[in-house]
Amino acid sequence: MSDMDKGGGRFGGKDGGKDGKGDKGGRRGFFRRRRVCKFCVDKIDYINYKDVKTLAPFIPERGKIQPRRISGVCATHQRALQTAIKRARQIALIPYVTD
Amino acid sequence: MSTVRQYELIYITPAETTEQALADLHTQVAGIVERFGGTIEKTENWGRRRLAYEIGREREGVYVLEVINAPGAVTAELDRRLRVFDNVIRHMIVRVDEELAIADRARQNRKDSMAKRRVRRGLPPEPTEGERHRREDDDDDMEGGLEHGFRAGGDR
Repeated sequence: MSDMDKGGGRFGGKDGGKDGKGDKGGRRGFFRRRRVCKFCVDKIDYINYKDVKTLAPFIPERGKIQPRRISGVCATHQRALQTAIKRARQIALIPYVTD
Repeated sequence: MSTVRQYELIYITPAETTEQALADLHTQVAGIVERFGGTIEKTENWGRRRLAYEIGREREGVYVLEVINAPGAVTAELDRRLRVFDNVIRHMIVRVDEELAIADRARQNRKDSMAKRRVRRGLPPEPTEGERHRREDDDDDMEGGLEHGFRAGGDR
């Protein structure tokens, strides 16, 4: 917390000296978490199950639904996303599993 | 009579289905819907698409979407009939009116509250072009800040 006086440091973290993408950021992409809900930011009220393009970012290679602790989606939208993905799976727009 | 609701019906036929067969299928569906006093609002043929996984022996299929306004009893009948047709390899009926209404309400609420906020600050209710761009820049800053703060604090 040595850098609390650094102007604009909203959260003043330990490694506040580094900006945005520090050396840690590249670690197998694990820390590239979006902390904001994409659907809230883009103001999407209805997550359409027919639109594979909006669903695709939330389906990792394996075909599972990405947990919101990783994607940063808010609870409301994660619930809607979940039903949308499950519907899309039923009509073979999205795989259930991929090996 | 019972209330009319909106449903979306999607069905998939094998890739080699002829135009004629598709038209027949559509009239069959339309017939069932009419019998229950409903209407078909929209029909969309998505054409051939690759299936995400094999259904039976099919790897590709023709997708058809029908938006139906009809009482709830149609779903059971459509379900029953579509299961019997052998040139329908998969179908799904989803009720959409409630979800769309919720989405509409959310959109309206957001618009209203934004207008209210803006009026309280003595601004016109609708944002102007210039403002919109500036706001997007702010958002970007915020995102960066949040990301960084999270990494610092939330490391396991």
